[in-house]
Amino acid sequence: MSQQKTAAPKAASETQLVARAQHGDEEAFAALFEMHKRRVYSLCLRMTGNTAEAEDLTQEAFLQLYRKISTFRGESAFSTWLHRLAVNVVLMHLRKKVPQQISLDEVDSSQDEPVKRDYGDNDRRLMGSVDRISLSRAIADLPPGYRMVFVLHDIEGYEHNEIAEIMSCSVGNSKSQLHKARLKLRDWLRQNEGLMTPGEPVVSDQAPTER
Amino acid sequence: MPDQSKQTEKKRGVTLYGQGLVVYLFLLSGALLAADGARSEKTFEATPNPRVTVTNMTGQILVRGWDKAQVRVVYSVVSPHVEVDTEVIPPNQPADKIHLITHLLDPLISGKDQTADYSLEVPMGTNLEIWNPQGSVRIEKLQGDDASVESVGGAILVSDFTGHLFLRSVGGNIELIRPSGRVEAYSITGDLHFVSPTTSKLRATTTSGRIFFEGDFPDGGDYSLSAYSGDMDILCPPSASFELNAKTVRGKLVNEMPMTIRRRSATPVSSANSLFGTHLTGKATVNLKSFSGTIRIRQR
Amino acid sequence: MKETRYDRSPACYQFELELEAYMEGENRPLVPAHTRECAFCRVIVKDLEALRSAALAMPREEPSPAVWSNIRAQLVATGAFAERVSLWNWVGQLDFLRRPGPVTAFACLLLLGCLVTVPRTYLEQDTAAGLSALPARTATRSMAFTGDSDALPRVVQELEETFRAREGSLAPDLKATYDNSLNSLDVSIRECSDSLQREPDNSLAHEYLLAAYSQKAQVLSSALEFGEGR
Repeated sequence: MSQQKTAAPKAASETQLVARAQHGDEEAFAALFEMHKRRVYSLCLRMTGNTAEAEDLTQEAFLQLYRKISTFRGESAFSTWLHRLAVNVVLMHLRKKVPQQISLDEVDSSQDEPVKRDYGDNDRRLMGSVDRISLSRAIADLPPGYRMVFVLHDIEGYEHNEIAEIMSCSVGNSKSQLHKARLKLRDWLRQNEGLMTPGEPVVSDQAPTER
Repeated sequence: MPDQSKQTEKKRGVTLYGQGLVVYLFLLSGALLAADGARSEKTFEATPNPRVTVTNMTGQILVRGWDKAQVRVVYSVVSPHVEVDTEVIPPNQPADKIHLITHLLDPLISGKDQTADYSLEVPMGTNLEIWNPQGSVRIEKLQGDDASVESVGGAILVSDFTGHLFLRSVGGNIELIRPSGRVEAYSITGDLHFVSPTTSKLRATTTSGRIFFEGDFPDGGDYSLSAYSGDMDILCPPSASFELNAKTVRGKLVNEMPMTIRRRSATPVSSANSLFGTHLTGKATVNLKSFSGTIRIRQR
Repeated sequence: MKETRYDRSPACYQFELELEAYMEGENRPLVPAHTRECAFCRVIVKDLEALRSAALAMPREEPSPAVWSNIRAQLVATGAFAERVSLWNWVGQLDFLRRPGPVTAFACLLLLGCLVTVPRTYLEQDTAAGLSALPARTATRSMAFTGDSDALPRVVQELEETFRAREGSLAPDLKATYDNSLNSLDVSIRECSDSLQREPDNSLAHEYLLAAYSQKAQVLSSALEFGEGR
């Protein structure tokens, strides 16, 4: 209950802003933009990997917000509703670029392919080598469905029940897609960004043997 | 030839019958499997004072405190179209927050098919938040900072709880046994039953339900009970030391405790039946109100 | 058998099955136990943890000021920002009255205003305290108070009209519970109103009347949240 007491004032002012924006109040809409712009833009940027595209998509998301805000009935938190709208804008954009992409309504389980399990040894672990640039490249290479769940959960900090609402999938699906996304990222990073510093010997007491 | 064609027909009939039987048995086993409830158990490492929330539609929820730094959840669902989502924050460390949410995969299922039953064992210092509109809730042995339980038609039973307790059921009965700390209990048509409370503050209101109170009033306690039209029965020991402020608009006031009366009136101006008195040294404050219900104060 | 990067023991397979749940915070003792014995699976867990930490450290980016400028320009071009709406217009909109949250808040503030006007000597403090202990699902939001004594029944009536229009979507047993409680509250409102007509100074009747309206607003709000598919 103490958490609710703390959250109530912020939620109260946002609700007032939404109500005013629904009646065309420019100031209220501008305030909503300020409150949510970073999260929406970050989402667009992580999904596209391109600042110009991300800014275009952010604009489109907020313009759609303005057009659709009168349909917001408060069934979910406003931020969840807005981010669902933004996710749809992003996925529509990606679908136009590569037509055979996933459906907008569900994280498509047909993306499921066997995930490679490369059992390295201690010297081959990623610890210390996951820098921002490497990770950004790896994320850009993920299939859109995996990418969206990973970005929403591990980067943007959404919880699975929020992702389920945004992505119209079950929480179980969200968890499963996240796990697969992480394994795919791990594989990409190990293969593309160098597993070991060149010249270092393999130090292992469990050397691979022939099958 | 006609015999052969008859035999062929017969064979075809048997084959069709056999296929039909297989399909029927398959569907029947599927139905039986679907009807069989699915039971799951999960255990999470937790901090000593986690916040655990349970959001359900209907079914029984039982929560017990234990002395482990773990939250153990056993749940079962009736329908395969109902799943329980669990969320642990932060993951992979002792949990500060655990959310348990009953999730309907098919929005068209209704009634008993929505049932999910939960049994939780949680650290004693857990803060709890439960929403179970059509189901019952039972809480035993918790000492968290606060617990909040809301229902619409379900009954709520809490025993041996210490902390701030907020209970609301629109139509369900609320029963508290040996609560300690601060209590708020609200119902519209449900009964409120208190046994041996040692709370410093207690607020309870019901509109058409009844109130039963059995126990002492601890020193310094502040108790306010209101039953609009239902009867109120207070049963306390001879050693209870309290200051009483009781009033009703049209109901009756029946007092069997020896009291030093401060004021007793049925003034024509207000038509209120009221009793203001002190039992022993008046160390606790007891406010009792009704509109048309009878207020009875009796000695145990 | 010596483990190789290509060979998996049955324990490794079990580890894989439990890894997802372990990473989600569930207690899966097999996972840490297996990583103590298997260097390859240990590396997997370390890698995933490193990945998660790196993702968490990714900065949140800020869009350029041009984004808002472009949005605003497009909305001005369509005339969308032409009108400024006053608080009075907002209150008067029927759409607002369909929102149980703000209406409940309005009802409660009117209620508090009425309490302020009643002689203090007769009022218990716990009445206001009880009324302010609203459930989280009907959180109070601040609004202007007009002090109109007929406004509270009107607001509750409008809430009830909205509820009656949507009550068909409620499960039968839920609807029955809400109906019973609303009937109970209606009885108390009638009785208190009758009592106050005969004895306008009856403070306890006044207290119960205000409490009944407030509780009715809360019950209707709770029912409307169900109706909206919460």
